[in-house]
Amino acid sequence: MAAPTVTASLDASTYAPGEPMTLTVGYADPDTRPVTVTIVLTDPDGNSSAPVRVTAVIDPLGVEVADDSGRAWTMVSDTGTTAVYRAVA
Amino acid sequence: MPRVTVTVRDQGGRTASAAADYALAPPVWGGYYLAGNADPTTDLVGGNFRSLTQYRSLADAYVFPGYGMSWLRDLGRAGVAPNMVLELKHYGAGSPGAQTFTVDGVTWTVPAPAMTIQQRPGTTWPRAYGYGQVLAGQCDGLLARALSQYRTLGFPVNLQLASELDTDHEFGTTESGVSFTWAESDARAVQALTYVVNWLRARGLPAGTTFSVGAGGFDRAAFRRTHPEALMSRVDFLQWNVYATDPAHTALSRFRRTRDWAVADLGPVALSRPVIIAEWGVQVSAFPDQAAWIATVPAALARLNAERGPRIVRANYFNSGWGTLTPKPAGLAALRAAYATRPFG
Repeated sequence: MAAPTVTASLDASTYAPGEPMTLTVGYADPDTRPVTVTIVLTDPDGNSSAPVRVTAVIDPLGVEVADDSGRAWTMVSDTGTTAVYRAVA
Repeated sequence: MPRVTVTVRDQGGRTASAAADYALAPPVWGGYYLAGNADPTTDLVGGNFRSLTQYRSLADAYVFPGYGMSWLRDLGRAGVAPNMVLELKHYGAGSPGAQTFTVDGVTWTVPAPAMTIQQRPGTTWPRAYGYGQVLAGQCDGLLARALSQYRTLGFPVNLQLASELDTDHEFGTTESGVSFTWAESDARAVQALTYVVNWLRARGLPAGTTFSVGAGGFDRAAFRRTHPEALMSRVDFLQWNVYATDPAHTALSRFRRTRDWAVADLGPVALSRPVIIAEWGVQVSAFPDQAAWIATVPAALARLNAERGPRIVRANYFNSGWGTLTPKPAGLAALRAAYATRPFG
Protein backbone atom coordinates (compact mmCIF):
# COMPACT_ATOMS: atom_id res chain seq x y z
CA MET A 1 0.00 0.00 0.00
CA ALA A 2 1.38 3.37 -0.99
CA ALA A 3 0.78 6.75 0.56
CA PRO A 4 -1.53 9.22 -1.16
CA THR A 5 -0.45 12.63 -2.45
CA VAL A 6 -2.32 15.92 -2.49
CA THR A 7 -1.89 19.51 -3.65
CA ALA A 8 -4.01 22.53 -2.81
CA SER A 9 -4.11 25.87 -4.62
CA LEU A 10 -6.27 28.95 -4.28
CA ASP A 11 -7.15 31.21 -7.19
CA ALA A 12 -5.78 34.27 -5.33
CA SER A 13 -3.69 35.08 -2.30
CA THR A 14 -5.87 37.96 -1.09
CA TYR A 15 -9.63 38.33 -1.22
CA ALA A 16 -12.07 41.11 -0.51
CA PRO A 17 -14.94 40.28 1.82
CA GLY A 18 -17.76 38.66 -0.12
CA GLU A 19 -15.53 37.67 -3.01
CA PRO A 20 -15.82 34.08 -4.34
CA MET A 21 -12.87 31.85 -3.55
CA THR A 22 -11.92 28.76 -5.51
CA LEU A 23 -9.76 25.96 -4.13
CA THR A 24 -8.42 23.33 -6.51
CA VAL A 25 -7.30 20.04 -4.97
CA GLY A 26 -5.20 17.57 -6.93
CA TYR A 27 -4.94 14.14 -5.37
CA ALA A 28 -3.75 10.65 -6.23
CA ASP A 29 -2.70 7.32 -4.76
CA PRO A 30 -0.75 4.70 -6.69
CA ASP A 31 -2.98 2.02 -5.17
CA THR A 32 -6.19 3.60 -6.23
CA ARG A 33 -7.52 1.58 -9.16
CA PRO A 34 -10.86 1.51 -10.80
CA VAL A 35 -11.94 -2.07 -11.50
CA THR A 36 -14.84 -3.44 -13.41
CA VAL A 37 -16.31 -6.89 -12.58
CA THR A 38 -18.40 -8.49 -15.25
CA ILE A 39 -20.83 -11.22 -14.17
CA VAL A 40 -22.46 -13.74 -16.46
CA LEU A 41 -24.73 -16.45 -14.99
CA THR A 42 -24.77 -19.77 -16.81
CA ASP A 43 -27.22 -22.61 -15.99
CA PRO A 44 -26.52 -26.37 -16.40
CA ASP A 45 -28.19 -26.29 -19.81
CA GLY A 46 -25.70 -23.78 -21.04
CA ASN A 47 -28.00 -20.80 -21.07
CA SER A 48 -26.18 -17.56 -20.19
CA SER A 49 -27.55 -14.39 -18.84
CA ALA A 50 -26.72 -11.05 -20.34
CA PRO A 51 -23.48 -9.75 -18.80
CA VAL A 52 -23.81 -7.39 -15.87
CA ARG A 53 -21.00 -4.97 -15.11
CA VAL A 54 -20.19 -3.69 -11.65
CA THR A 55 -17.52 -1.04 -11.07
CA ALA A 56 -15.56 -0.54 -7.89
CA VAL A 57 -12.51 1.41 -6.72
CA ILE A 58 -9.68 -0.30 -4.88
CA ASP A 59 -8.34 1.82 -2.00
CA PRO A 60 -10.44 4.92 -2.72
CA LEU A 61 -9.34 8.23 -1.20
CA GLY A 62 -11.39 10.42 1.07
CA VAL A 63 -10.83 14.18 0.82
CA GLU A 64 -11.37 16.54 3.74
CA VAL A 65 -11.12 20.32 3.64
CA ALA A 66 -10.63 22.30 6.84
CA ASP A 67 -10.37 26.07 7.23
CA ASP A 68 -8.90 27.46 10.44
CA SER A 69 -11.01 30.61 10.11
CA GLY A 70 -14.19 28.52 10.07
CA ARG A 71 -15.01 29.33 6.45
CA ALA A 72 -17.29 26.72 4.84
CA TRP A 73 -15.97 25.10 1.66
CA THR A 74 -18.40 23.37 -0.70
CA MET A 75 -17.36 20.84 -3.33
CA VAL A 76 -18.53 21.81 -6.78
CA SER A 77 -16.83 19.07 -8.82
CA ASP A 78 -14.65 16.00 -8.40
CA THR A 79 -13.09 13.98 -11.21
CA GLY A 80 -11.40 11.50 -8.91
CA THR A 81 -8.08 13.26 -9.32
CA THR A 82 -9.09 16.93 -9.21
CA ALA A 83 -11.69 18.37 -6.87
CA VAL A 84 -12.85 21.97 -6.89
CA TYR A 85 -14.25 23.69 -3.82
CA ARG A 86 -15.83 27.09 -3.39
CA ALA A 87 -16.16 29.46 -0.45
CA VAL A 88 -17.04 33.09 0.09
CA ALA A 89 -14.42 35.41 1.53
CA MET B 1 -3.63 34.71 8.04
CA PRO B 2 -6.36 32.12 7.42
CA ARG B 3 -5.31 28.74 6.11
CA VAL B 4 -7.25 26.04 4.31
CA THR B 5 -5.92 22.52 4.78
CA VAL B 6 -6.77 19.58 2.54
CA THR B 7 -6.28 16.03 3.80
CA VAL B 8 -6.67 12.88 1.76
CA ARG B 9 -6.95 9.50 3.45
CA ASP B 10 -6.78 6.09 1.87
CA GLN B 11 -8.49 2.93 3.15
CA GLY B 12 -5.37 1.94 5.09
CA GLY B 13 -5.50 5.18 7.05
CA ARG B 14 -2.49 6.72 5.34
CA THR B 15 -2.92 10.47 4.88
CA ALA B 16 -1.37 13.37 3.03
CA SER B 17 -2.06 17.04 3.61
CA ALA B 18 -1.56 20.28 1.74
CA ALA B 19 -2.33 23.82 2.88
CA ALA B 20 -2.91 27.16 1.22
CA ASP B 21 -2.79 30.48 3.06
CA TYR B 22 -4.85 33.48 2.09
CA ALA B 23 -5.51 36.99 3.29
CA LEU B 24 -8.66 39.02 3.53
CA ALA B 25 -8.37 42.64 2.59
CA PRO B 26 -10.92 45.42 2.63
CA PRO B 27 -12.27 46.67 -0.68
CA VAL B 28 -10.18 49.04 -2.74
CA TRP B 29 -11.27 52.63 -2.19
CA GLY B 30 -12.39 54.43 -5.29
CA GLY B 31 -11.81 58.16 -5.22
CA TYR B 32 -11.95 61.36 -7.17
CA TYR B 33 -10.40 64.70 -7.97
CA LEU B 34 -12.24 67.59 -9.58
CA ALA B 35 -10.38 70.17 -11.67
CA GLY B 36 -9.11 73.21 -9.82
CA ASN B 37 -9.38 71.57 -6.36
CA ALA B 38 -13.08 72.39 -6.78
CA ASP B 39 -15.89 71.24 -4.52
CA PRO B 40 -16.74 67.73 -5.82
CA THR B 41 -19.63 67.10 -3.44
CA THR B 42 -22.30 67.09 -6.17
CA ASP B 43 -20.33 64.62 -8.28
CA LEU B 44 -19.84 62.25 -5.35
CA VAL B 45 -23.51 61.94 -4.41
CA GLY B 46 -24.82 58.42 -4.78
CA GLY B 47 -21.45 56.90 -5.63
CA ASN B 48 -19.15 54.71 -3.59
CA PHE B 49 -16.45 57.41 -3.40
CA ARG B 50 -14.14 56.78 -0.47
CA SER B 51 -11.20 59.07 -1.13
CA LEU B 52 -10.40 62.50 -2.54
CA THR B 53 -7.15 63.96 -3.82
CA GLN B 54 -6.41 67.60 -3.02
CA TYR B 55 -3.42 69.81 -3.80
CA ARG B 56 -1.97 72.40 -1.45
CA SER B 57 1.10 74.59 -1.56
CA LEU B 58 2.89 74.97 1.73
CA ALA B 59 3.34 78.60 0.67
CA ASP B 60 -0.38 79.26 1.05
CA ALA B 61 -1.77 80.72 4.24
CA TYR B 62 -4.71 78.26 4.24
CA VAL B 63 -3.41 74.71 3.82
CA PHE B 64 -6.10 72.86 5.82
CA PRO B 65 -8.84 72.64 4.79
CA GLY B 66 -7.91 75.26 2.20
CA TYR B 67 -9.28 78.74 1.67
CA GLY B 68 -13.09 78.65 1.48
CA MET B 69 -13.08 74.86 1.34
CA SER B 70 -15.36 74.11 4.27
CA TRP B 71 -16.80 71.33 2.11
CA LEU B 72 -13.58 69.37 2.59
CA ARG B 73 -14.27 69.34 6.30
CA ASP B 74 -17.80 68.07 5.62
CA LEU B 75 -16.62 65.35 3.24
CA GLY B 76 -13.91 64.26 5.64
CA ARG B 77 -16.35 63.99 8.50
CA ALA B 78 -18.65 61.99 6.20
CA GLY B 79 -15.83 59.46 5.77
CA VAL B 80 -14.23 60.49 2.49
CA ALA B 81 -10.50 60.02 3.11
CA PRO B 82 -8.41 62.89 1.75
CA ASN B 83 -5.11 62.34 0.04
CA MET B 84 -3.58 65.75 0.65
CA VAL B 85 -0.75 66.54 -1.72
CA LEU B 86 1.55 68.98 0.06
CA GLU B 87 3.91 70.76 -2.26
CA LEU B 88 6.99 72.89 -1.76
CA LYS B 89 5.98 74.34 -5.12
CA HIS B 90 4.68 77.90 -5.05
CA TYR B 91 1.45 78.13 -7.03
CA GLY B 92 1.71 81.85 -7.69
CA ALA B 93 3.22 83.61 -10.68
CA GLY B 94 6.13 86.01 -10.69
CA SER B 95 8.67 86.16 -7.91
CA PRO B 96 7.05 85.52 -4.54
CA GLY B 97 8.82 87.09 -1.61
CA ALA B 98 9.49 86.23 1.98
CA GLN B 99 6.55 85.90 4.36
CA THR B 100 6.14 86.50 8.06
CA PHE B 101 3.25 85.02 10.02
CA THR B 102 2.32 83.88 13.50
CA VAL B 103 1.35 80.31 14.38
CA ASP B 104 0.11 79.51 17.88
CA GLY B 105 1.85 82.58 19.26
CA VAL B 106 5.15 81.97 17.49
CA THR B 107 6.22 84.35 14.73
CA TRP B 108 7.98 82.80 11.77
CA THR B 109 9.74 84.40 8.82
CA VAL B 110 10.22 82.21 5.79
CA PRO B 111 12.43 83.45 2.96
CA ALA B 112 11.36 83.57 -0.67
CA PRO B 113 11.33 80.21 -2.46
CA ALA B 114 14.78 79.77 -3.98
CA MET B 115 14.33 76.80 -6.33
CA THR B 116 12.89 76.32 -9.79
CA ILE B 117 11.36 73.01 -10.85
CA GLN B 118 9.64 71.58 -13.94
CA GLN B 119 12.30 73.27 -16.08
CA ARG B 120 10.83 72.18 -19.39
CA PRO B 121 12.44 74.22 -22.18
CA GLY B 122 10.22 76.97 -23.52
CA THR B 123 8.02 77.14 -20.44
CA THR B 124 7.96 79.34 -17.37
CA TRP B 125 9.63 77.42 -14.57
CA PRO B 126 7.61 77.33 -11.35
CA ARG B 127 9.22 78.39 -8.11
CA ALA B 128 9.44 76.12 -5.09
CA TYR B 129 11.02 76.15 -1.69
CA GLY B 130 14.44 74.59 -2.16
CA TYR B 131 15.52 71.28 -0.72
CA GLY B 132 18.50 73.15 0.73
CA GLN B 133 16.13 75.65 2.33
CA VAL B 134 14.15 72.81 3.89
CA LEU B 135 17.27 71.13 5.27
CA ALA B 136 18.49 74.46 6.66
CA GLY B 137 15.26 74.77 8.64
CA GLN B 138 14.14 77.84 6.71
CA CYS B 139 10.76 76.25 5.92
CA ASP B 140 9.95 75.09 9.44
CA GLY B 141 7.40 77.91 9.74
CA LEU B 142 5.52 76.55 6.74
CA LEU B 143 5.40 73.12 8.36
CA ALA B 144 4.30 74.60 11.67
CA ARG B 145 1.48 76.52 10.00
CA ALA B 146 0.24 73.48 8.08
CA LEU B 147 0.44 71.28 11.16
CA SER B 148 -1.45 73.77 13.32
CA GLN B 149 -4.27 73.93 10.79
CA TYR B 150 -4.29 70.18 10.28
CA ARG B 151 -4.75 69.62 14.02
CA THR B 152 -8.05 71.50 13.88
CA LEU B 153 -9.36 69.53 10.90
CA GLY B 154 -10.90 66.75 12.95
CA PHE B 155 -9.93 63.72 10.86
CA PRO B 156 -6.71 62.16 9.62
CA VAL B 157 -5.42 62.46 6.09
CA ASN B 158 -2.66 60.97 4.00
CA LEU B 159 0.05 63.56 3.49
CA GLN B 160 1.53 63.03 0.03
CA LEU B 161 4.76 64.99 -0.04
CA ALA B 162 5.17 66.47 -3.54
CA SER B 163 2.84 65.82 -6.42
CA GLU B 164 5.22 64.16 -8.88
CA LEU B 165 8.93 64.33 -8.09
CA ASP B 166 9.71 62.95 -11.54
CA THR B 167 7.75 65.74 -13.23
CA ASP B 168 9.39 68.30 -10.94
CA HIS B 169 12.93 67.04 -11.66
CA GLU B 170 12.73 65.72 -15.23
CA PHE B 171 14.63 68.72 -16.65
CA GLY B 172 16.74 69.34 -13.56
CA THR B 173 16.29 71.91 -10.83
CA THR B 174 18.08 75.09 -9.81
CA GLU B 175 18.42 76.37 -6.27
CA SER B 176 20.03 79.73 -5.49
CA GLY B 177 21.75 79.74 -8.87
CA VAL B 178 23.12 76.18 -8.61
CA SER B 179 21.90 73.66 -11.16
CA PHE B 180 21.19 70.05 -10.30
CA THR B 181 20.58 67.12 -12.64
CA TRP B 182 17.48 64.93 -12.41
CA ALA B 183 19.34 62.35 -10.34
CA GLU B 184 20.90 64.98 -8.08
CA SER B 185 17.50 66.59 -7.58
CA ASP B 186 16.04 63.21 -6.60
CA ALA B 187 18.75 62.68 -4.00
CA ARG B 188 18.22 66.15 -2.56
CA ALA B 189 14.45 65.64 -2.47
CA VAL B 190 14.84 62.38 -0.55
CA GLN B 191 16.84 64.23 2.10
CA ALA B 192 14.38 67.11 2.27
CA LEU B 193 11.28 64.91 2.42
CA THR B 194 12.89 62.80 5.14
CA TYR B 195 13.40 66.03 7.04
CA VAL B 196 9.75 67.02 6.56
CA VAL B 197 8.38 63.63 7.67
CA ASN B 198 10.63 63.56 10.71
CA TRP B 199 9.80 67.16 11.62
CA LEU B 200 6.06 66.53 11.49
CA ARG B 201 6.19 63.15 13.22
CA ALA B 202 8.30 64.56 16.04
CA ARG B 203 5.65 67.19 16.82
CA GLY B 204 2.67 64.92 17.12
CA LEU B 205 0.20 64.28 14.37
CA PRO B 206 -3.51 63.43 14.54
CA ALA B 207 -4.00 59.70 15.02
CA GLY B 208 -4.30 57.92 11.71
CA THR B 209 -2.05 60.31 9.81
CA THR B 210 -0.13 58.61 7.03
CA PHE B 211 2.53 59.69 4.54
CA SER B 212 3.54 58.96 0.99
CA VAL B 213 6.04 60.38 -1.48
CA GLY B 214 4.61 61.81 -4.70
CA ALA B 215 5.62 60.32 -8.03
CA GLY B 216 4.13 60.27 -11.50
CA GLY B 217 5.79 56.90 -11.85
CA PHE B 218 6.72 57.32 -15.51
CA ASP B 219 10.47 56.84 -15.08
CA ARG B 220 11.86 53.65 -13.63
CA ALA B 221 15.24 54.99 -12.49
CA ALA B 222 13.70 58.05 -10.84
CA PHE B 223 11.13 55.90 -9.07
CA ARG B 224 13.90 53.74 -7.67
CA ARG B 225 15.99 56.75 -6.61
CA THR B 226 13.11 58.40 -4.78
CA HIS B 227 12.10 55.25 -2.85
CA PRO B 228 15.11 54.26 -0.74
CA GLU B 229 14.40 51.96 2.17
CA ALA B 230 15.35 54.56 4.81
CA LEU B 231 12.69 56.95 3.57
CA MET B 232 10.19 54.15 2.96
CA SER B 233 10.51 53.13 6.59
CA ARG B 234 9.16 56.59 7.48
CA VAL B 235 6.12 56.52 5.17
CA ASP B 236 3.01 54.37 4.94
CA PHE B 237 2.10 54.11 1.27
CA LEU B 238 3.63 53.82 -2.13
CA GLN B 239 2.06 56.14 -4.69
CA TRP B 240 2.04 56.70 -8.42
CA ASN B 241 -0.31 58.02 -11.08
CA VAL B 242 -1.90 56.18 -13.99
CA TYR B 243 -3.02 57.57 -17.35
CA ALA B 244 -4.23 56.02 -20.59
CA THR B 245 -3.15 58.42 -23.33
CA ASP B 246 -2.69 56.04 -26.25
CA PRO B 247 -5.30 53.75 -27.85
CA ALA B 248 -2.99 50.81 -27.10
CA HIS B 249 -3.10 51.45 -23.34
CA THR B 250 -5.12 48.91 -21.37
CA ALA B 251 -6.08 49.46 -17.76
CA LEU B 252 -4.06 46.41 -16.77
CA SER B 253 -0.93 47.61 -18.58
CA ARG B 254 -1.15 51.14 -17.21
CA PHE B 255 -1.82 50.26 -13.59
CA ARG B 256 0.84 47.55 -13.83
CA ARG B 257 3.71 49.58 -15.26
CA THR B 258 5.09 51.30 -12.17
CA ARG B 259 4.04 48.37 -10.00
CA ASP B 260 6.26 46.01 -11.96
CA TRP B 261 9.22 48.39 -11.63
CA ALA B 262 8.60 48.64 -7.90
CA VAL B 263 8.45 44.87 -7.47
CA ALA B 264 11.69 44.46 -9.43
CA ASP B 265 13.64 47.38 -7.96
CA LEU B 266 12.49 48.31 -4.47
CA GLY B 267 13.38 46.82 -1.13
CA PRO B 268 11.22 44.83 1.28
CA VAL B 269 10.17 47.84 3.36
CA ALA B 270 8.91 49.72 0.31
CA LEU B 271 7.11 46.64 -0.97
CA SER B 272 5.37 46.14 2.37
CA ARG B 273 3.54 49.41 1.78
CA PRO B 274 0.13 49.45 0.05
CA VAL B 275 -0.38 51.75 -2.90
CA ILE B 276 -2.40 54.92 -3.37
CA ILE B 277 -3.11 55.89 -6.96
CA ALA B 278 -3.50 59.63 -6.37
CA GLU B 279 -4.55 60.21 -9.98
CA TRP B 280 -5.85 57.94 -12.68
CA GLY B 281 -7.48 58.94 -15.90
CA VAL B 282 -8.27 58.10 -19.49
CA GLN B 283 -7.72 60.71 -22.17
CA VAL B 284 -10.82 61.24 -24.29
CA SER B 285 -8.77 61.97 -27.43
CA ALA B 286 -7.23 58.51 -27.20
CA PHE B 287 -10.41 56.80 -25.98
CA PRO B 288 -13.59 58.58 -27.17
CA ASP B 289 -15.53 56.02 -25.12
CA GLN B 290 -13.97 56.75 -21.74
CA ALA B 291 -16.71 54.79 -20.00
CA ALA B 292 -15.68 51.56 -21.74
CA TRP B 293 -12.11 51.94 -20.52
CA ILE B 294 -13.21 52.84 -17.00
CA ALA B 295 -15.31 49.67 -16.93
CA THR B 296 -12.16 47.56 -17.33
CA VAL B 297 -10.44 49.02 -14.26
CA PRO B 298 -12.02 46.85 -11.52
CA ALA B 299 -10.93 43.60 -13.16
CA ALA B 300 -7.45 45.00 -13.78
CA LEU B 301 -7.03 45.97 -10.13
CA ALA B 302 -8.42 42.65 -8.93
CA ARG B 303 -5.89 40.83 -11.06
CA LEU B 304 -2.95 43.00 -9.95
CA ASN B 305 -3.90 42.69 -6.31
CA ALA B 306 -3.96 38.91 -6.66
CA GLU B 307 -0.32 38.97 -7.77
CA ARG B 308 2.74 39.07 -5.56
CA GLY B 309 3.66 42.63 -4.67
CA PRO B 310 2.19 45.74 -3.10
CA ARG B 311 -1.58 45.96 -3.04
CA ILE B 312 -3.36 48.93 -4.62
CA VAL B 313 -5.78 50.17 -1.94
CA ARG B 314 -6.98 53.51 -3.30
CA ALA B 315 -7.46 54.86 -6.80
CA ASN B 316 -8.68 58.42 -7.27
CA TYR B 317 -10.00 59.41 -10.70
CA PHE B 318 -8.49 62.66 -11.97
CA ASN B 319 -11.37 64.56 -13.59
CA SER B 320 -9.07 67.26 -14.94
CA GLY B 321 -6.35 67.61 -17.57
CA TRP B 322 -5.73 64.29 -19.33
CA GLY B 323 -8.50 62.63 -17.36
CA THR B 324 -11.27 65.17 -18.00
CA LEU B 325 -14.54 63.27 -18.34
CA THR B 326 -16.17 64.23 -21.64
CA PRO B 327 -19.14 64.08 -21.60
CA LYS B 328 -19.11 64.32 -17.85
CA PRO B 329 -22.42 62.51 -17.09
CA ALA B 330 -21.40 59.35 -18.97
CA GLY B 331 -17.96 59.37 -17.38
CA LEU B 332 -19.33 59.85 -13.89
CA ALA B 333 -21.87 57.06 -14.44
CA ALA B 334 -19.05 54.74 -15.51
CA LEU B 335 -17.05 55.73 -12.45
CA ARG B 336 -19.98 55.04 -10.16
CA ALA B 337 -20.52 51.64 -11.80
CA ALA B 338 -16.82 50.77 -11.50
CA TYR B 339 -16.69 51.74 -7.84
CA ALA B 340 -19.69 49.49 -7.18
CA THR B 341 -17.80 46.53 -8.68
CA ARG B 342 -15.31 44.28 -6.89
CA PRO B 343 -12.61 44.90 -5.81
CA PHE B 344 -14.06 48.37 -5.15
CA GLY B 345 -17.55 47.32 -4.14
